[in-house]
Amino acid sequence: MNDMRFVERTVGNEEVKIAARGVHVYYGDTHAIKDVNIDIADKMVTAFIGPSGCGKSTFLRCINRMNDTIPIARIEGDIMIDGEDIYDRRVDPVQLRAKVGMVFQKPNPFPKSIYDNVAYGPKIHGLARNKAELDEIVETSLRRAALWDEVKDRLQAPGTGLSGGQQQRLCIARAVATSPEVLLMDEPCSALDPIATDQVENLIHELRERYSVVIVTHSMSQASRVSQRTAYFHLGEMVEYGETGDIFTNPRDQRTENYITGRIG
Amino acid sequence: MSPLWLLVSIAVLALIGAVIGRRKAMASAGGDARELHSLPNYYGANVALLVTAPALLVLAAWMILQPMLIEGRVASIVPDAAYQDAGALNLLMADVRRVAGGLDLAVAQGALTAQEAHDAEATDLRARLAEIGVAVGSEVDTVILEAAQRYRVLDSRADLARTVVILILALAGFIFTVSRIDRTYRARNSVELAVLVLLIGASTIAILTTFGIVMSMLFETMNFFRQYPASEFFFSTTWDPSFSGRGGASELGILPLLWGTLYISLIALLVSVPIGLFAAIYLSEYADKRFRGFAKPLLEVLAGIPTIVYGLFALITVGPLLRDAIASPLGLGNSASSVMTAGLVMGIMLIPFVSSLSDDIINAVPQAMRDGSYGLGATQSETIRQVIVPAALPGIVGAILLAASRAIGETMIVVLGAGAAARIDVNPFEAMTTVTVKIVSQLTGDTDFSSPETLVAFALGLTLFVITLGLNVLALYIVRRYREQYE
Amino acid sequence: MTIATADTPRSTPNAGSLMQADAKTAKRNAREKRFRLYGLIAVCTGILMLVLLMISILTAGLSAFRQTTIEISVPLDAERLDPEGNRNPVEMASVTTFGYAPLLRDGLMQTIEAAGIETDLPEGDIADLISDESVAQLRATVLANPELVGQTVPVEVLASGRIDGFFKGRVTYETAELDSNISPEQLRLAEALEEAGLLRTGFNWRFITAPDASSTRPEAAGLGVAILGSFYMMLVVLVLSLPIGVAASIYLEEFAPQNRFTDLIEVNISNLAAVPSIVFGILGLAIFINFAGLPQSAPIVGGLVLTLMTLPTIIIATRAALKAVPPSIRDAALGIGASKMQAVFHHVLPLAMPGILTGTIIGLAQALGETAPLLLIGMVAFVREYPDAPWDGGLFDPATALPVQVYNFTQRSDPAFVERASGAIIVLLIFLLIMNLAAIFLRRKFERRW
Repeated sequence: MNDMRFVERTVGNEEVKIAARGVHVYYGDTHAIKDVNIDIADKMVTAFIGPSGCGKSTFLRCINRMNDTIPIARIEGDIMIDGEDIYDRRVDPVQLRAKVGMVFQKPNPFPKSIYDNVAYGPKIHGLARNKAELDEIVETSLRRAALWDEVKDRLQAPGTGLSGGQQQRLCIARAVATSPEVLLMDEPCSALDPIATDQVENLIHELRERYSVVIVTHSMSQASRVSQRTAYFHLGEMVEYGETGDIFTNPRDQRTENYITGRIG
Repeated sequence: MSPLWLLVSIAVLALIGAVIGRRKAMASAGGDARELHSLPNYYGANVALLVTAPALLVLAAWMILQPMLIEGRVASIVPDAAYQDAGALNLLMADVRRVAGGLDLAVAQGALTAQEAHDAEATDLRARLAEIGVAVGSEVDTVILEAAQRYRVLDSRADLARTVVILILALAGFIFTVSRIDRTYRARNSVELAVLVLLIGASTIAILTTFGIVMSMLFETMNFFRQYPASEFFFSTTWDPSFSGRGGASELGILPLLWGTLYISLIALLVSVPIGLFAAIYLSEYADKRFRGFAKPLLEVLAGIPTIVYGLFALITVGPLLRDAIASPLGLGNSASSVMTAGLVMGIMLIPFVSSLSDDIINAVPQAMRDGSYGLGATQSETIRQVIVPAALPGIVGAILLAASRAIGETMIVVLGAGAAARIDVNPFEAMTTVTVKIVSQLTGDTDFSSPETLVAFALGLTLFVITLGLNVLALYIVRRYREQYE
Repeated sequence: MTIATADTPRSTPNAGSLMQADAKTAKRNAREKRFRLYGLIAVCTGILMLVLLMISILTAGLSAFRQTTIEISVPLDAERLDPEGNRNPVEMASVTTFGYAPLLRDGLMQTIEAAGIETDLPEGDIADLISDESVAQLRATVLANPELVGQTVPVEVLASGRIDGFFKGRVTYETAELDSNISPEQLRLAEALEEAGLLRTGFNWRFITAPDASSTRPEAAGLGVAILGSFYMMLVVLVLSLPIGVAASIYLEEFAPQNRFTDLIEVNISNLAAVPSIVFGILGLAIFINFAGLPQSAPIVGGLVLTLMTLPTIIIATRAALKAVPPSIRDAALGIGASKMQAVFHHVLPLAMPGILTGTIIGLAQALGETAPLLLIGMVAFVREYPDAPWDGGLFDPATALPVQVYNFTQRSDPAFVERASGAIIVLLIFLLIMNLAAIFLRRKFERRW
């Protein structure tokens, strides 16, 4: 519990965007997440690290209720966004996911044109009243995802024809297009080569200005490069949470230290 | 020796060979099976194989070729004056065969001695043959009798030659293999090679079948086009075969039949594609496990029901219902069999076909696509309509093409539900007919394989085959390309 | 809740609280519900059609399994039936059905009189109450038991089709008014016979065992020859398609190199699976009958045609079963020095056997219901003689098949044949059900997870 006091102290002076209290997740009989409590700050990049199977992705998927699509998943506890419980009966996951965008591990552009990929979200949410507005949204989103210059001449080309790094940035543009407030990224660079990874990491830096970004990564160096806060997950528990610099230089839990020094992989 | 006895002798020889082969192998190894290259049984099997395989192959070829050769020889001695055309010659040769067979039978039953049969007179032969139960079409004349006697001579000579050749072959195989047996002989490899050849032979049957289908229809179609102009067949809008009044010109245009076929298929697809597709979507995306476990097999039962059952359903239930409830009150016709009847029932038949194919295809769309869409806040139906269905579209198109091919080739439902009147009309409550219905009606009952009215069925069959083959190849190609995309 | 303003096209749809669904979302959710409903309707429509189909066939066909019969005491006049007096069936066979008809008619009259039923119908109309088939029935009974001659024996004869229909509800007094084949008076007489306990309706074994009957005697038509014919064909299909299909699959799955020949075979198999069945009928007619000279209407030809149709199904199922056997089994056998052939025949094939058998049964079930190709090879012929046993050349005797018999019944004008056709379908469906249950049982019993 000492750790938690540390967390509250450091985060307390900023605006809390997402607050989780006593979150448990079960997949059938498996207890995947055990009592996670965390406050995630606005306009900041928060990284979840930990060995594979530690529950970091599972927890991430709770934040926009993607776990709803898995029939055997069961969630207990509260997750608040802007003080509203997202698991409240009145909350429509569809509306929630427009507010909390998500980028997945493997780039998953739809088999449509680049333009239609980005325009898909605004279209279904009815964000544009006419073609001109839609064009504007697409352009802005592609610019924010630092992809505009590369694709502006071939917006009608299929999104699946882009390179891996471009595809992932297209997916980011797609997520940004619905004007989310929170952006969840589930190991967004794990399927990319180092150059593409670099591009995406730079992008994350910029995205931070507008969104609260939560990124799951298995690369500690990436966490240290892009994030301001880091949470370490181990076997479904959140072991430690704090300033990224502190976690890496001065971990206070033995398990975190083992992980960072490479004793758990 | 009759073929049956030949087979028995070959089998006996093979069995003896197997025993001897095994013994000799064991003897060569001094009674110790471990000294042998292969297990002792392989040596026996090897002998049996070499005794049977060449003998059986030659026997089969002989059985096919002998009647053809003999008929050719016998036909050549029949004077040209005895028949007018190829058809008449065929009938005449049938009588020749029957007389020859009858004489043989009479000898076998003891009604005639061999000498009597040889000297038999043409005059009372028909009656005498009738006594032993052989019916000959017309009175036996000298031409036929002469030919029949020639036939008997040639046939008995050929039978004798066949027996000798086959037995020599079997014996040669026996001696050859037995002589080669010793301790180091690789009997297993030899047996396995033979088995492999057998396996390859079995798998070429698929090619032979396709070849047989094409050939059987191609020759008769060419015959047909020699008697009836191809342009008329493909472009005439009238179908009016004159069966009774021979000589009265038939009009055999395929267009009215194609129209009926396509119209019925269109209605069938209009019924089955939306229902099948929505059912597949519901079952794969929405239904919980219990509902799926109960509804999916029930839908698949529809696919296991024979088409004759659907035909009867159209005939006794759907047809009268449509006529009494819709067609008659609206003045659209008063026929129970109609395009609508056949189309609706065929549509029901195709529902499980479309739904199970679409189900497979929808399930092949990667989960990442769904996640991407849900992650953006799309509802399930938006995801299905705007992401999954477009992504699965090529596969779904392939499935629809396969269903269309089924609909076009379907026979029993249209035979019982669509009617027999060839007409080009847009009123779906009128009876129309299809290519398959006409194939059935032209090839059942009295058929005469020299008249265009019968031969047209082969041209229809070939057209049907080409259309469905085209659709199938296209569909399989599309589906395969689609699957590769996600693999 | 407005979202976009004129200046800023981009605006979030959820600027407000998550707790309230905005108008747009509500609309989308409604659309979602509708879409889901369409899906449910589609599934239910499919199932409903199945139910309708079954109900339609069952209501039309179940009555075929019941048959109305009339018990008549027939005086078997020795003078007429056995003029020689030797009770020798061979001699007695010279008396044709014409000799028996008056006896039967007399018997009917006397029976009605003895039962105390009064009727003013002319004798001919009364005789129409019983089936024309019953004379042949009587003759067959007498020839089988010559010692009956001279006695007055009770005989259970078939009622005519219309009378049978009356007791099954197909014929009523109203329809009888309009029907030249039956009059309301005859129906009244039939009812009187029923009251007297002479006319009754019981289970119709004849329907399953008897051969077909002419188109004017629907009450006598049975499925015996058709069931036997179908059985013979299935025998041929099983004997040919199982070994050939398995051999072809083993080659393609285990031995075939990747080359154009193999590709050709693969393409051929997948296409043959989709060729319209009637095309196979044309093939059978042209190759097996016209070219090879096999007899028309013979189960052997039907079996050969159905074998060619079933092969792709069996090959596809067998290959799937072989593929499901993990490579480790093959490696294990090869690793201890077995030849490839031994590995396949000793280890892979036995493990794949349940899957192969399941596929074979399903292929057979398909073949059993196939109709169109059989029409073309002459199986629509009217066949009254049972084929001989297979070892007596029965495969070459004329026969029909169950689905073709259904088609045959539908082509006859007497409405009583609708009942017979539907009844025949019920028999066919029961066979299919048994086969499919067997396949499911096999699959359940031997299902293996590697």
